[in-house]
Amino acid sequence: MKKLYNILRIVCLIVLALPLALAWVPSEVFEGLVPVSLVESGYLHSLFLSFRELSITLVATMLFAMLLSVSLGYISVLSIRVGRGFSNVLNAVESIPSILVALFCYAPVSGYLARHSSAASTTMSLIVFVLAATVTTLPEAVRSIDIPLSDLYNRKYSLSFRSYGFTKQRILAVLMNTALMRNTLKRVAAGILLKTLVLDCSFGFIIQLGFGSYGTPAHLSPGALIAAHRDALFEGGEPILFWLPSIMLITISVAFLLMLNDSKEETE
Amino acid sequence: MTPISLHKFSIHLGRRLLLRDCNFSIESGASAVIMGPTGTGKSVFLKSIAGILSTQIFTFGGGMKVNGFDAYSDGRKLDFDSWSQIAQSGLVFVPAETAQVMNPALTLDQNLALLAPGCKSIIEQRLNDYFALDFDAFARLYPDEVSGGEMQRITLMILLSRSGNLILLDEPTVNLDRNLRRHFVEFLNKEILSAEDKTFLMVSHDLDFIKKLTLDQAFILKDGNIQRLDSLPEMESYEKPEAKKGASGTAIELQNVSQTYFKRGIFGERTFTAFKGLNLVFERSTIYGITGPSGCGKSSMIKAILRLMDGTKGRIIMEGSDLVALKPGESGRDPAAFKPFRRRMTVVQQDSRFSFFPDLSIRDSFRQIAAAGSGGTVEELAANLEKVGLTSAHLDAYPQSLSSGEMKRMDIARALTAKPDILLLDEPFAHIDFETRLHVMKAISEYLAVHATILIVVTHEDFDLRYFVEKSYDFPELVGQFAEE
Repeated sequence: MKKLYNILRIVCLIVLALPLALAWVPSEVFEGLVPVSLVESGYLHSLFLSFRELSITLVATMLFAMLLSVSLGYISVLSIRVGRGFSNVLNAVESIPSILVALFCYAPVSGYLARHSSAASTTMSLIVFVLAATVTTLPEAVRSIDIPLSDLYNRKYSLSFRSYGFTKQRILAVLMNTALMRNTLKRVAAGILLKTLVLDCSFGFIIQLGFGSYGTPAHLSPGALIAAHRDALFEGGEPILFWLPSIMLITISVAFLLMLNDSKEETE
Repeated sequence: MTPISLHKFSIHLGRRLLLRDCNFSIESGASAVIMGPTGTGKSVFLKSIAGILSTQIFTFGGGMKVNGFDAYSDGRKLDFDSWSQIAQSGLVFVPAETAQVMNPALTLDQNLALLAPGCKSIIEQRLNDYFALDFDAFARLYPDEVSGGEMQRITLMILLSRSGNLILLDEPTVNLDRNLRRHFVEFLNKEILSAEDKTFLMVSHDLDFIKKLTLDQAFILKDGNIQRLDSLPEMESYEKPEAKKGASGTAIELQNVSQTYFKRGIFGERTFTAFKGLNLVFERSTIYGITGPSGCGKSSMIKAILRLMDGTKGRIIMEGSDLVALKPGESGRDPAAFKPFRRRMTVVQQDSRFSFFPDLSIRDSFRQIAAAGSGGTVEELAANLEKVGLTSAHLDAYPQSLSSGEMKRMDIARALTAKPDILLLDEPFAHIDFETRLHVMKAISEYLAVHATILIVVTHEDFDLRYFVEKSYDFPELVGQFAEE
């Protein structure tokens, strides 16, 4: 029964996150399955492109943010003084709305983005966005690692293991690899993915809304696509242009939420 | 309605059978205790009634009804809704580690409102009457700002004052000091056991404590079976094991030692004094007992000797070297000059569940511990396990699959295998039943006969003082009564 439930859960997660994988299949494969108008207007191509960029952003941000979070979380517990320094900086960052952080990150490169060709601009935009998303997700991610790790060390394992002669560094390395911390890391990764998804789409939406296709960064995101076709819901429009990316984003978000909840249950 | 009713109920932990096809029931208004040797599954059984055992670790058989509601049916633990009904029907579970139920992010007042809504006035009154504690003075503090003893008194009273008809109490005396125990017995007899509308089921190995309670029934859990006892066993038959003596002589001397530490307060961190002005000499081959109420600084003294704390002042002299000067603070690694002393010290900490790596078998864990400098071989550990009543089969177990009592004995065997020169035992016999405890005491005495060791035992149990300790000190008397700074 439990095995069946686990299989169903995994299948469910794969189905929900499928849009991210399908975005890498050539859009021509799906041309026969969607209304001709979507193909002819170039919408289908844009849709695939935006989800491809989204998947790159999600994977890159998750890897980069996880690397930084694990390192900072570990160092914070290893050295209380350094940990307090990190905590103050991250608390300051957290007090700024995510979108503003993203805009601040784009400010130094806005000239470059405006001057360069589409491909170079897109690459730079992606790099800057991954950096911005990492900065905004970092405070919560570091805290989520630092608190349980510190609890494991200070309240539970430090006395025995230090008395055996292990250094704090080694005890923390061992504790980082426990089932409890592995579950915590899964939860942190799911949280980063969810937060990045929301930031990417909302940022794309606002840029498109504010500057239209002339805006920098040239950030092709499902959020920008939704904003570009927001009039599709009005009379004479094609509602599918609005709902298709929206529903795909909802399914991906649900997949991340399930991952988040699932890891929490395992931890409990 | 029968509050607890089992029909051919069984519990397995992996391949290990803890309860076999048990038919057991307790009538409404009854008060009962389940006794039994350590590691037989007493606490597990109580937790199965409370519904807090994970189905990922334990498997069940048969059925159980709690307060008339199905809790387990055909070996299947029922869903969350069913257990919510049971919880709302009046089930109150008090775990052994009571302080763990408190949410560290909430103040004590907020915890009280969450755990026992509408019961604040009665809790305040009971804390005042039985434990001489004014709750208002603690209401705005967070759990980590309150001493262990105060925390335990407050948590016990909050949990036991919740409205409910079925009270499950798991090893309530494990962390209670002698004074607190006396008041707790008085409270239970007057407020809980005399109430006709309450059904009371407790598991304990503390015969001394059980005899002072007005209980109707006693059971023993052994080899997977629960059997009713006609009368409680006698304690007089216990004899103190004779310890042979090795070489003697002064070995460690504490000169005007004081210990401070930081605590989070409303206005940031504040310095608290655990103890000050401690002057004490420990000689080899004598079993020293340190007693005193919870939170008086006994465990801090152990950590100060181990040099695992910042804020130690004074001198701890061992063989002419001042350990405080060699290692003034705890930075996470030992200076080279202190390392030879570290290898000679071993501690059995209060909570032995955290003495081995969580995700490794005891055997693999021990190999790493021994390699880190503790010393000893797996064969020597296996031999010591036999002495404390465990077997070499336990070496392949994982920490989470062993009971608290088994983990304690495992930790003691590990400590003896390291052949320490200084053996520090912090509540070493908690969770171990009296009969097994004597075997463990004997194993330690035998070690002491061969190795002239400095042996310090922190304990609050009369049994340990009577049958094991040779020279005991009351810690508050040693350090003098002082006001917290």
